[in-house]
Amino acid sequence: MKKISKLLLALSFVLSITSSAFAVTVVSFGGAYTESQKLGYGDPAAKKLGIPIDWVDYTGGLSEIKAQIEAKKITWDIIDVYAMDTIIGCDEGIFHEFDFDKDFYPAPDGTPASKDFFTDMPSKCAVGNILYSWIYAYNTKNVKGTPKTIEDFFNTKKFPGKRGIYKDALGNLEIALAGDGIKPGKGGKAIYDALKTPEGVERALNKFKTLCTDPNGGCVFWSAGAQAPEILVSGEVVMSTGWNGRFFKAAKVEGAPIVQVWDGQILDYEYFALVKGGPNYENGQAMAALKEMTSPEGLAGSAKYIAYAPWRKSSIEIMTKGEPWFNDGKTNMVPEMPTAPANTKSYILNDPVFWADNNTELQEKWEAMKAGL
Amino acid sequence: MSTKIILSSDGLPLEKSLKKAERKNKIRALLLVAPLFFFILIIFVFPLVDMLFKSVDNRMITEMLPNTFTALEKWDGKELPGEDVYEAFYNDFYPLAKDKKSGKLFQRLNYEKSGFSSGLKKTNKLILNFEKENYKEQFINAHEIWNNQDYWLAIKNSSSKWSYSKYLKGIDLELDQQKKIVQVEEEKSIHVLLWLRTLKVAFWVTVCCFFLSYPIAYLLATLPMKYSNILMICVLLPFWTSLLVRTSSWMIMLQQEGPINNTLVWLGLFTNENKPELMHNMVGTFVTMSQILLPFMVLPLYSVMKNIPSSLMKAGKSLGGTPFMSFMKIYFPLTIPGIGAGCLLVFILAIGYYITPALVGGASGTLISNVIAYHMKYSLDWAFASALGTMLLVGVLTIYWIYHKLVGIDNIRLG
Repeated sequence: MKKISKLLLALSFVLSITSSAFAVTVVSFGGAYTESQKLGYGDPAAKKLGIPIDWVDYTGGLSEIKAQIEAKKITWDIIDVYAMDTIIGCDEGIFHEFDFDKDFYPAPDGTPASKDFFTDMPSKCAVGNILYSWIYAYNTKNVKGTPKTIEDFFNTKKFPGKRGIYKDALGNLEIALAGDGIKPGKGGKAIYDALKTPEGVERALNKFKTLCTDPNGGCVFWSAGAQAPEILVSGEVVMSTGWNGRFFKAAKVEGAPIVQVWDGQILDYEYFALVKGGPNYENGQAMAALKEMTSPEGLAGSAKYIAYAPWRKSSIEIMTKGEPWFNDGKTNMVPEMPTAPANTKSYILNDPVFWADNNTELQEKWEAMKAGL
Repeated sequence: MSTKIILSSDGLPLEKSLKKAERKNKIRALLLVAPLFFFILIIFVFPLVDMLFKSVDNRMITEMLPNTFTALEKWDGKELPGEDVYEAFYNDFYPLAKDKKSGKLFQRLNYEKSGFSSGLKKTNKLILNFEKENYKEQFINAHEIWNNQDYWLAIKNSSSKWSYSKYLKGIDLELDQQKKIVQVEEEKSIHVLLWLRTLKVAFWVTVCCFFLSYPIAYLLATLPMKYSNILMICVLLPFWTSLLVRTSSWMIMLQQEGPINNTLVWLGLFTNENKPELMHNMVGTFVTMSQILLPFMVLPLYSVMKNIPSSLMKAGKSLGGTPFMSFMKIYFPLTIPGIGAGCLLVFILAIGYYITPALVGGASGTLISNVIAYHMKYSLDWAFASALGTMLLVGVLTIYWIYHKLVGIDNIRLG
């Protein structure tokens, strides 16, 4: 009896050691987003490679991984990061530098990976995962007519009623200029150029001041992502900015009378980065898992569960062939993607370098504007 | 006459041996309170001291750029600094960039002036290939910020080891080039307004709480046990409910299509088109915060009122006083210790509130605590957050002191 229990103990010890070094740890933001990643490409990749993948939540930023490196006890293999963090992490030598064409699968038609991404990566340490969008939506019950452009969001004569607006400056200053007549085109460079001048910033702030103090308009500020569709449905506002995944869920899954307007959307993004010296770095399993997860089929998989767009152009083709792609079996997903051709006639590509420089100052000016309302 | 020293049995003076015996007891007593003492020291005193320290500590940057600051001392700030400053900066910055230790500098200098972050980041890459001459030219070619004396001024202005500039920023002041204190640009001055707004909200919430709580506490203290117990549960139940739950319940109640507005329309007091706005303005903040902080006023008032004998009011009446007069002359003065405790408690809690106003207050819902949270969590300017926190602490202590001078702190009673 004693022998058996000793044997069992030894066995479980060996098992625990092998499994902890064995599983690839992927760190992401949690919630429905991580769920879509796990179901969409995490589980299929784990099954194909025979390597378990563990999902861990965090709240963004590089402070935790830096602490792990300083303590010489790295437990994370792959991290879901913002653009800014991939640049910093690359500069500071935290992340592995990729050779995109060698490290990742080509598109099904043979196009090398680097040509298959939606745009260029911000650094050599980042491989694109999803693109999401800041857009506005309206409640069809409370709006007469159909708003079509970003100018309509600011047009209180044609579409009277309150607007829901994100509480911070980020993203708002861009749409203010787009709504004031600066054409974003493809990427919105003209808008960021204007925001680099004090006059441009003032113009953007005045646009919101006019909207919020207009007796036919008015502003309600939202802070959490779930609030935007909520204030739209409750009739608190007639239009609101928000994240497209949230509006999609409210409209298509919960059946709310919400319509999204894609003109002048701000495209924002998430990336994966591979930690140098992580537990599965040397044995190559972390890289193997990352390669599977970011394959065109893999990235397309996550869009079955959430309305965020895969970074690979060829993923969209896979989705088009497989429509209806959403997991309810009846919703076409390609038109819901922020990167769909119909949705990217005029868009702004979020500029992380601009915001890293100017966030503090612009936020102060934004708060001063809000305080004067 | 000489006093004889009384000796104890072991030959020591009695006084000494008594002290010796008492010392044991003292040590025992000290050991008993030691855990609490250390707990308070570690959880409360250390963080406070650390916060005070952080708000003035500027040594990180002076340690990173020692040569630059020495070289900048002679510079008058009128035009671009000379080659020597650029060379000193190269000598400071090159080792940092080489060892990948310059990350903190980007962020720190970007608080001083926007644009440092990207400028330094780009320079960080290029500096590794600089030739050891013509530093000025190479820096200017690397990034345009080095061709702008404003950025050099920003560096020069952060050259002292200890700095109170964050405190100045907290009340919308700053140091100009001649180190004179001036107002910041109007479009960026926001903090004074937020301080005033925070005080205003805390004051009116305290007033609302007082007028709502007084009758409740009176009923609690005077009703028969049977009813007062039920009333007590009504006071305590929300007190035990999570803050966020209560705030979101109020959001449901107060919204445009919410039960309150619908009832008002149903009663015919308002038409459907011009319903009153109860949320996303100051009204929402006052209503929600008053309800949330109500128990903090009710409970001290109740405990004081409970101890006032009912015979006193009867005595007042029997001496010919009207009910109002006997209330004002007898009952009310006796409740002042409870009022003091309640008001102080509610005011101090209200002054640091930020989740509730942010959710129901709309554009007017930004208070000074929101700014502190923003700098702690997002901009990571902990020095500025610490300075604001210290100012808030000093403010609260001042109010405490004023109260002490007016009413006397010994007068406070929580029970």
